Amino acid sequence: MSATHAPGDVILGRRQLFMLPTRFGLLFALLLVVQLLTAINYGNGLAYALTFLLGSLAVVSMLYTHRNLFRLRLAAGICAPVFAGEAAVFRIHLVNDSDTPRFGVALMHDKKEIAGVDIPAHGSADVELPVPAARRGHLTIPPVTVTTRFPLGLLYSWSRRVALEQSCLVYPRPAGPTPRRTREAETLESTRGLKTGGDDYIGTREFRPGDSPHHVDWKAVARGEGWHIKQFGGVYQPTVWLDWDTLPGLDTETRLSALTRWVLDAERDGMLYGLRLPEKSFAPANGEHHQHECLRALALFGLKP
Amino acid sequence: MNAAITSRPVLHSLLAAGACAVAPHALELPPWVIAVFAIGAAWRYACETFQWYRPGRLVRLALMLLVIVAVFRQFGTLLGRDPGIALLITLLGLKFLELKTLRDFVVSLLVFYLVILGGFLYSQSLWLGAWALVAVAACTAALVHLTQPTGMDMTRRLRLSGAMLAKAAPLMVIVYLLFPRISGTLWGLPADAHSGLTGMPDTMQPGSIRNLSASSEIAFRVSFDGAPPPLRELYWRGLVLTEFDGRGWQRGRAGGAREVSFVPLNEAVRYHVTLEPSNKPWMPALDLPAIRPKDARYQPDFTLEHREPIRERLNYTLTSYTRYRTGALDAAERARALQLPPGTSPRARALAAQWQRENSAPQQVAQAALDHFRRENFVYTLSPPLLGGDPVDEFLFDTRRGFCEHYASAFVALMRAAGIPSRVVVGYLGGELNTAGNYMIMRQSDAHAWAEVWLAERGWVRVDPTGAVAPERIELGLDAVRRLEQQGVALGSLPNEAVLRALELGWFEYVARHARWYWDYTNLAWYRWVVDYGKERQEQFLTSLGLDDISWSRLSILLFVGALLVTLVYAFLLLRPKKSVDPALALYLRFCRRLARAGMVRAPHEGAHAFADRAARQRADLADSISEITVLYEDLRYGLAISDRKKFISLKKRVAAFRA
Repeated sequence: MSATHAPGDVILGRRQLFMLPTRFGLLFALLLVVQLLTAINYGNGLAYALTFLLGSLAVVSMLYTHRNLFRLRLAAGICAPVFAGEAAVFRIHLVNDSDTPRFGVALMHDKKEIAGVDIPAHGSADVELPVPAARRGHLTIPPVTVTTRFPLGLLYSWSRRVALEQSCLVYPRPAGPTPRRTREAETLESTRGLKTGGDDYIGTREFRPGDSPHHVDWKAVARGEGWHIKQFGGVYQPTVWLDWDTLPGLDTETRLSALTRWVLDAERDGMLYGLRLPEKSFAPANGEHHQHECLRALALFGLKP
Repeated sequence: MNAAITSRPVLHSLLAAGACAVAPHALELPPWVIAVFAIGAAWRYACETFQWYRPGRLVRLALMLLVIVAVFRQFGTLLGRDPGIALLITLLGLKFLELKTLRDFVVSLLVFYLVILGGFLYSQSLWLGAWALVAVAACTAALVHLTQPTGMDMTRRLRLSGAMLAKAAPLMVIVYLLFPRISGTLWGLPADAHSGLTGMPDTMQPGSIRNLSASSEIAFRVSFDGAPPPLRELYWRGLVLTEFDGRGWQRGRAGGAREVSFVPLNEAVRYHVTLEPSNKPWMPALDLPAIRPKDARYQPDFTLEHREPIRERLNYTLTSYTRYRTGALDAAERARALQLPPGTSPRARALAAQWQRENSAPQQVAQAALDHFRRENFVYTLSPPLLGGDPVDEFLFDTRRGFCEHYASAFVALMRAAGIPSRVVVGYLGGELNTAGNYMIMRQSDAHAWAEVWLAERGWVRVDPTGAVAPERIELGLDAVRRLEQQGVALGSLPNEAVLRALELGWFEYVARHARWYWDYTNLAWYRWVVDYGKERQEQFLTSLGLDDISWSRLSILLFVGALLVTLVYAFLLLRPKKSVDPALALYLRFCRRLARAGMVRAPHEGAHAFADRAARQRADLADSISEITVLYEDLRYGLAISDRKKFISLKKRVAAFRA
């Protein structure tokens, strides 16, 4: 193929595509039968011609339907982490490497069709695929089927189920409001200095995945200087340790849920917080990146890598 | 699939398609039928646009019953072509009021296709065929719109539907030509379908051929295998008249079922006739036909008669010999060929008796008659004076102005009076050579009457007394005679410089004539390949392709293989990977591949600019060339430099030199 593509992409080949007439297609066939009988009965040359023209049109439309999916490339996009109980929104790029646009390409997952999109020639279109995330950990993208009824709606073409290499990180479900249990000594331990999270602008740093879009320096992006995060600071921050061991006697999931809640609360309150898990610990820090690292550790806790 | 359709543009597409499909029916069906459709469409349009009252279920049901009753009252039945199509159209009109789901829309649209076909049951003209293509394209575009409501504007939908129909056309032609036809005996045609057909009458009264001569309607068309014989030999035998009542000529009692034969004296002429319907059974054939086409009787007088009046255009192939010698004459036939009503035309009888005394051989008598026409003051004219009770005498001795029928009638009367068996033959002479399609057009105005005399040594011999008066009629055709007459050039002086000069065409006439010929040729092709393409034409066509033994199964295999081949070609054309049309994009993609090999893969969502930044950060050593290439590419593809040759070459060089 002419375009560059990542190894995980899937290109729909001939063997992955199937086709059957739709209900409208069957109606159309019935129409052709009625027309043919009329043509024979009246010995009418033009009626024959029209009947065969429409029949040929159906055959040609078969090729168009096939072409609409043939060599379509599917690539997985990014999926923002979600908490268990929410819906993970997978983004699938439908990439058209051909010179002709594709119309009305739909994705099917779990017997539900996701509205069709049009893909310009040498362009791509994104389809969002919401999948309920029930459990923490990695949620892999479910296999999807690509379908189309283009151009006349007489034929329905669909692909074999396509499994993309993409997963979404699912953080544990945050517990309800849970009072933070901390070790006294550490609560008092506080650090002075310029920390991020305040109101005063203190400079920029490079964008890291997980950063809030609110802090992106959009003007700089627009100038083409790349993605940067505006940092704010200038306040004194208390420091806390969020510790697995402060939650004895509870089962793992409950503990993880509680820790997740604490991480979220600490971040919200602008604290410096560290996380201590049986096999891992994160030094106190703050910011979206730190929060993501903590939540990720909680999400993957005890799971096979 | 059953979600309600709320988009107004989709409705507009459907209304437009419906209007295209129904429009031709306005020419055939009662106006109220079309009005019901139009009102239904307009009402729905008003509902959508101005939020008019939309009738509920009960009202719609009542309207439907009303329409059915109206159709029944109009036609007296609900079955058959007219009421069937009227019902389809009126109910489609009412259907507009209840269209809601996609399914409703699609069903309506599919019925439109049926309505288009219905139009062909009334007329199969070239115009209607052309219009049907427009209607089919509109319906198909509407179907695209219905099932793909977004993404394409109207132009694009029409283009797509046009492109698909263009691809469907060759496939359709294959199936059309090869689909096994059955011989058309299934149809029942309405009784009044054949009124207004012009054809040669089966009697000849004074003035009956002249009536035909005013009609420029086409009688038949002929194409010859090889060069056509000269115009003066193109006597098309229609029917032979033997019984004379003093005024007019009739066929008389047909002879017995005697085997008829003649000895051909020259090469056979093979030709194809496309005969327009005349409501008469005569099948014109070049003097004399040697074979009998299907469904025709070969009469003892060497004419061909169809088994029933010809009401559909008829195609047949014949072989004729223009020189021939026929056999003996039996007593009954001889008596019929000498019959003259007693007491009529005394002056003619006296003249004939005089010739008989002066000449011994019948041939000389005939020559004397022709000389008489030539020598005396006879005039060939397309507007002869009316004749009274004894037309032969009046014409021969008083008016002396006449048309072919007058000359033929008088000549045969004279011959019979002189004891020579003779008869009148009515048919066509001359015609117009259509150089566009290399065939001859014979019009009703080319109708002609001539005589046949029986000579012991040669059998029936054709004698055309008109030729003695107006050789232009025989050599140049009626069209020339008419033009000469208009210009006041005297007839009978052929060959003559003045005649030829008078016949030269002005440039305008020349162009008009050729345009007419091309148009006629188009029509003939249309008849041959569309309207008349039935079992016989199909067999003819397949035989001309060199296929004999045309069985149903062989045709089906041919059809299937042909259609499959075309489809495969389409599949190849449509599905093969194409080279990118934009050379700048191709170069950029090559650059991307090189980067990909070095581990920098462009993500699908990543623009060229963002990718360049990322790649440059990753490989600072290449940053300059990456940025240069990207800037050049963006300029060429999106910027002002789209057709800048220099920039393109520069991009080409840089990409070629780029190594990651």
